[in-house]
Amino acid sequence: MKQQEDTLNPDSAAPMRLEKARCLILACGNTLRSDDGLGPHLAAWAEERFRDEPCVTIISRQQWTPELAADVAAADAVLFVDCSIETKPGSVHLLPVLPRSSSPATATHHLDAPGLLALAHALYGARPAHAMLLAVGAGSIELGETLSDPVASALPRARGVLEKAVRRFLGN
Amino acid sequence: MSQTITIDPVTRLEGHGKITIQLNGQGEVDSAHFHVTQVRGFERFSEGRPFYEMPSLMARVCGICPVSHLLASAKACEAIMSVRIPHTAAQLRRVLNLAQMVQSHALSFFYLSSPDLLLGMEADPKVRHILGVAAAKPELGLAGVGLRRFGQSIIELLGSKRIHPGWVVPGGVTEPLSAGKRDKILSMLPEAYAGIQLALDAYKKIADNFRPEIEVFANFPSNYLGLINEEDESIAFTDGALRLVDAKGAIIEDGITASRFTEVIGEAVEPYSYTKFAYYKPLGYPGGCYRVGPLARLNIVKRMGAPKAEKEFVEFKQLAAGPVESSFHYHHARLIEILFGLEKIEEILADPKILDTHVRATAGVNRLEGAGQAEAPRGVLHHHYKVDDDGKMVWSNLVIATGQNNHAMDSGVLQAARHYVKDGKFTDGMLNRIEAVVRTFDPCLSCSTHALGQMPLAVSLVSADGEVLDRVAR
Repeated sequence: MKQQEDTLNPDSAAPMRLEKARCLILACGNTLRSDDGLGPHLAAWAEERFRDEPCVTIISRQQWTPELAADVAAADAVLFVDCSIETKPGSVHLLPVLPRSSSPATATHHLDAPGLLALAHALYGARPAHAMLLAVGAGSIELGETLSDPVASALPRARGVLEKAVRRFLGN
Repeated sequence: MSQTITIDPVTRLEGHGKITIQLNGQGEVDSAHFHVTQVRGFERFSEGRPFYEMPSLMARVCGICPVSHLLASAKACEAIMSVRIPHTAAQLRRVLNLAQMVQSHALSFFYLSSPDLLLGMEADPKVRHILGVAAAKPELGLAGVGLRRFGQSIIELLGSKRIHPGWVVPGGVTEPLSAGKRDKILSMLPEAYAGIQLALDAYKKIADNFRPEIEVFANFPSNYLGLINEEDESIAFTDGALRLVDAKGAIIEDGITASRFTEVIGEAVEPYSYTKFAYYKPLGYPGGCYRVGPLARLNIVKRMGAPKAEKEFVEFKQLAAGPVESSFHYHHARLIEILFGLEKIEEILADPKILDTHVRATAGVNRLEGAGQAEAPRGVLHHHYKVDDDGKMVWSNLVIATGQNNHAMDSGVLQAARHYVKDGKFTDGMLNRIEAVVRTFDPCLSCSTHALGQMPLAVSLVSADGEVLDRVAR
């Protein structure tokens, strides 16, 4: 596993050019907002799980911002990880993501997964061969540092889906 | 019957707010206000905390300019400690603050305002965003992404985090700079220079297309406040003292240090906004109101203090005989400041002393009151603290750039509304222009109210008898 900070390794020769990552796990969420912390939670788990996988890069952010398009463009496969307020609490979904150049989030400085894919293509002419979204239905996104019962119960399944998707991307 | 237009929420801002435009019985604009509709109260919940926690607490005010809050807060703490920080620590802080300015200005110009500038004020709102810019002008989209990554990378290299780095502490910084990190930053500069030069060239080519907007985008005389290096009257972001000039560019007051700030600057309150309205006390409110930020900084200094930025500054000053008045020119000033930031970072890192390991001074409570100030990307930021004998916070006050621009934003919205709203009606293009006036200032509404949560902006059109005739919310 290669953490995002590695792209800033002082020993690297090409600081603004990202190394090719076979698989990028891009998580989103706020750990102070209950189930919204699911993305960072799964990212932390994945860092341990893929510690010995140099082809896996993991980035966790509170918001997905446009500059992440460079990381997306540099990946063969991207697994976006986020909670969903539109699905049943604790439900686990693995969905394909297609680029979309117009989304509600584009009015400000953060983007959703389809927007990031579109921006990566527009700026870098690159599109990952595989782009999937792992979404877990949120039970609560109120202030709080713990996951709701449905989401906590769904964690083992979500981890399993995440690992299976990454292994498939890697051809393991 | 009079009417009111409300723009609710104003989009592409840092935070949420709304605009209300009041019409008279003839359908003409009578008044207009920019409202900030959130409240937070950082000053209150800091009470009782140890003063040395304040930099990391106050940095949470904002996710865009936490470094400015870190610096103003640390300086206020150092006034309480009565220490002078080591030279290398001061230089490293300057690099950090400049890096933040570069990434914040890149966000403002490329992500939030370039859709208007490159695609047009009347462009379809469905494409008037960063993705639209990337499709139409990918080279400028790349420049924007590159400059934002440049600034964020430096913040992360120095502070170990892109947002809310804990590296700045009362007394200096926690760790010295390694040669590897210095070389890493220096190696990123050529690409950053190329990006800002591309943006400056592109902006100067299209600026003339916006002459009608330049005329009515908060284009009026005002006072201007900002930090300068007192030695050579050049631009300063982290140290120096404040200078206030009048509408003709004449110095009203110089050498306003952090400890003197509250002697000369007051804060007024209006019933329609949680953001306060700062003013220069001797001139009263609202006559003593002033503008801060990139336009103000370029209006108060005599020189930039870096050769490439100096060349651009000289060209910028050709826009007017005295101070450059239209807030539309904030965009241009912002790009020049990015160039300055790159040059200054390069200059500071070229000094071998930057690797010195003595980067922190220590002391306890030696005074019961202290103040600190720095330039945030949006303008002057002031922190003022009082502590008890044990160093626990008993009082604090934060004066934020957006509050200092509040009166000018209000007046700018009124000026634009009077120009664009005809017969009590407005089109999407007109609405976007009124929003764009506010965007020129790059206000941070989270900072200005020390506010919580998301903040969309709305525009309401209200009749003379209070009836909401039209309302647009995004």
